[in-house]
Amino acid sequence: MRHVIGIFVFTILTTMFYYYVGQMVPQKETYPPEELTISKDLTTDQMVEIGEQIVGGKGTCLTCHTIGESGAHRFPDLGGIGNTAASRVQGQSAVEYLAESIYDPNAYIVDGYVAGMPAMHRAPTNLNDDEILTIIAYLQSLGGTPDVTMSSSHSFTGQNPAAAAGAAPVAAAPSMSENLDGAGLYEKYLCNTCHSVDTDAPLIGPSLYDAGNRMSTADIYESIVDPDAKLADGYPGGVMIATLNGMNFYDSVSPKDLKKLVDYIASKKGN
Amino acid sequence: MDRRKLPFTIITIVVLVLLGITVQNVMNSWSLERELMGPNIEAAPDAVTPETPHTTEYRTFPKIGSRVAIWIVAQLHLMFAAFVLAVPMFALIIEYIGYRNGDKKYDKLAYEFTKLLSVSFSFTATLGAMLTFMLMILYPKLTNYLIGIFSWTFFPYVLLFFAEAGFLYSYYYGWGKFSPKVHLALGLGLNIVGTAIMFIANAWLTFMNSPAGINEAGQLVSMWDAINNFTWMPINIHRILANVAFGGSIAAAYGAFKFLGATTEEERAHYDWMGYIGNFVAISAFLTLPFAGYWLAKEIYAYSQSLGIVLMGGTFSWLFIIQAVLIGNLFLAANYYLWVSMERIDGAERFKKFTKYLLAAIAVCFLVWATPHSLVASVEEARSMGGSHHPMLGVLGVMSAKNTAVNIMILTTYISFLLYRRGNKEPTVSWSRTGNLIQFSIFAVVISFVIFLGVYGYFVDTATRVGLSVPQVLSVLFAMVSVTAIDVFMYKNAKFKGEMRWGQIPARAQYALFFLAITFTWLMGLMGYVRAGLRQHWHVYGVMRDTSVDAFTPTLGFAAGVVSVTVMIFFTFIAIVFWLAGLTGKKDWEEDKQLETSSGLLAEEA
Repeated sequence: MRHVIGIFVFTILTTMFYYYVGQMVPQKETYPPEELTISKDLTTDQMVEIGEQIVGGKGTCLTCHTIGESGAHRFPDLGGIGNTAASRVQGQSAVEYLAESIYDPNAYIVDGYVAGMPAMHRAPTNLNDDEILTIIAYLQSLGGTPDVTMSSSHSFTGQNPAAAAGAAPVAAAPSMSENLDGAGLYEKYLCNTCHSVDTDAPLIGPSLYDAGNRMSTADIYESIVDPDAKLADGYPGGVMIATLNGMNFYDSVSPKDLKKLVDYIASKKGN
Repeated sequence: MDRRKLPFTIITIVVLVLLGITVQNVMNSWSLERELMGPNIEAAPDAVTPETPHTTEYRTFPKIGSRVAIWIVAQLHLMFAAFVLAVPMFALIIEYIGYRNGDKKYDKLAYEFTKLLSVSFSFTATLGAMLTFMLMILYPKLTNYLIGIFSWTFFPYVLLFFAEAGFLYSYYYGWGKFSPKVHLALGLGLNIVGTAIMFIANAWLTFMNSPAGINEAGQLVSMWDAINNFTWMPINIHRILANVAFGGSIAAAYGAFKFLGATTEEERAHYDWMGYIGNFVAISAFLTLPFAGYWLAKEIYAYSQSLGIVLMGGTFSWLFIIQAVLIGNLFLAANYYLWVSMERIDGAERFKKFTKYLLAAIAVCFLVWATPHSLVASVEEARSMGGSHHPMLGVLGVMSAKNTAVNIMILTTYISFLLYRRGNKEPTVSWSRTGNLIQFSIFAVVISFVIFLGVYGYFVDTATRVGLSVPQVLSVLFAMVSVTAIDVFMYKNAKFKGEMRWGQIPARAQYALFFLAITFTWLMGLMGYVRAGLRQHWHVYGVMRDTSVDAFTPTLGFAAGVVSVTVMIFFTFIAIVFWLAGLTGKKDWEEDKQLETSSGLLAEEA
């Protein structure tokens, strides 16, 4: 029995020792980045201020980059980037170079470093175009004079997947859908611009006024996911699929939303 | 009911319940899919993931909150699962050695290890069921999403689990009842099925860290890609090795526990040997772990540089200082045990003089490894240092120094094993002097090379520096393999200088085994935390955000508290396992009572 007590005490003491070691290192809680509201009428100085906050917060830039530190770094130090950005790549303006470094970071790799930075407009960072403009302003201010404004555009403007699809941020899709009903989704995905549901008058495509009487839910489903499988008389193929692809419908719609959409169309029985 | 059948009955019930839940989930998915797709189910795009309607995202666990509750249960489940998967691996190898050389003591030892499995398996299953139910209740939306992604993997998982129960109980209860070959085949089946189960479960959890096989909306595109994500195979390999190290250490602790309570010399000798074998298994697997760790970290970086930086250089960088303390202690305790163990080998005294040098090497490497890159300093201290980096110690806090330190620690521990192995042996081959010289040269060249690369890392760019860890690791592996090969041939037909006096070892060596087991367990808890915590405010990194009240990364002190509590609960359960395993060797109550009565009568007559 003595050895059992000995082992018991020893186990507690060893565990407590490691608990103590855990208390001896810096203690910090890390919270998710706060969302900042960015209006279109910000001055460049205000953009620099907000950009700095995003660089240190939501952008998580300082996880990898340093500012004004010498020595061996895993990723380039950003000190003086405002001065060097314009001359880094021949033919690229400072704004264009910095935008490329954020949207397509591996297009140009600074000598001595390896590729690996993720595109900041995609998950998990999901910066939008306006937030990136403020970051560009801040980066330009590091050793240079910012000239970017909220109305500036560059080759990457509009490449944010959410902006392209006209939908909610992509990364948030499974957890933060907009919770629209079938009618809302019908409008959101612009179905109403081609297919009327209130009258039997056709628009660009056939009316879905009495779709629930004519088609089963499986037929409706098929006509959405493969519109050219069965074409209504007098309507050309390829139009609907091209339109839906153009708005990134198939990549952005969730199964739940698709079901709601199908149910909504199936509920149209001509009355 | 026969009490020996009780665990099997319980497991069967749990498996059937799990099977029922899985079937129900899959049926639900099917019915929804049919409803959506009608007769054109074949034409449906793979990207569409069935999703059950739901409204609740989270529920709260009373008092400690959902996160901590899941954290503790998941970690306990992992610890028992690791033990249950690892023990059959080395039990089978030991049984096979016994089968090949005909020595019954190996068979007995393998059986002794296997005795620990029966109860542990029940604990694993119960905790697994508890974890499943808690996930469904506390995190319904996340659980539903993962079920949608991995729906088809639940079938083989449950069936394999059932097969594992069959293999395990036939392996344990069939000991000595089948021909050795059949029994070994059962053990092999147990290992294959157990490993397959772990691989499936690993797919679920690695997907959460490095999701793949889905489109940007998080919908399933390819289940195989979701399974075979960036970190799946590295975690599989890392876990196999870590499980063996952990399982070996717990088995060694069982040996130590029995040794300390032993009443006869024979028992002491047996359990001393058991403790040694358990520790040998643990440390052998442990020495390979850093290599698997490099691979895992490399894949994390390959998946996302920012995730890698969060792990090693950001939020969790200080966690690796705690890890350094734990691993440094493991090296120290493992070497200490070997040095003390050499006291029971006649002839090993000649190697005692090397101990101080080995200790010094480990201590120096330990200090380097535990040196943080930036120091916790007051404003005045930081000002006088010129920043948070110490002018001299700062250079030891980077990976070039740490990689060098850990590689040398591995080699030092390997040398301790080599000396232990040679303890009472004298080579008889004519080329022994040349062999020793070659071995010494290999060590000298490899250690110099590792140090050279470490120093060289300070003078090259990042891309080159990151790549230097590969030749460091390969050169250490080369040293261990080549020196072992030479040693095996050199000590073939060796002359024995003295006896191996099993059982004649100080109690402090047994406490070293306990220390190793506790440290391994704590380390496992810590690394389990960082693997999950790495995602920060994401349930599935970059895909599903954590929007619960726990969507923040707690302090390392808090994490250390949770890990400590988990470790204490685990050892309480393990004490029950040890106690129950020990019951099988006891006399039956009736028989015991009769013996007591008859000895009482005899005493009265006398």
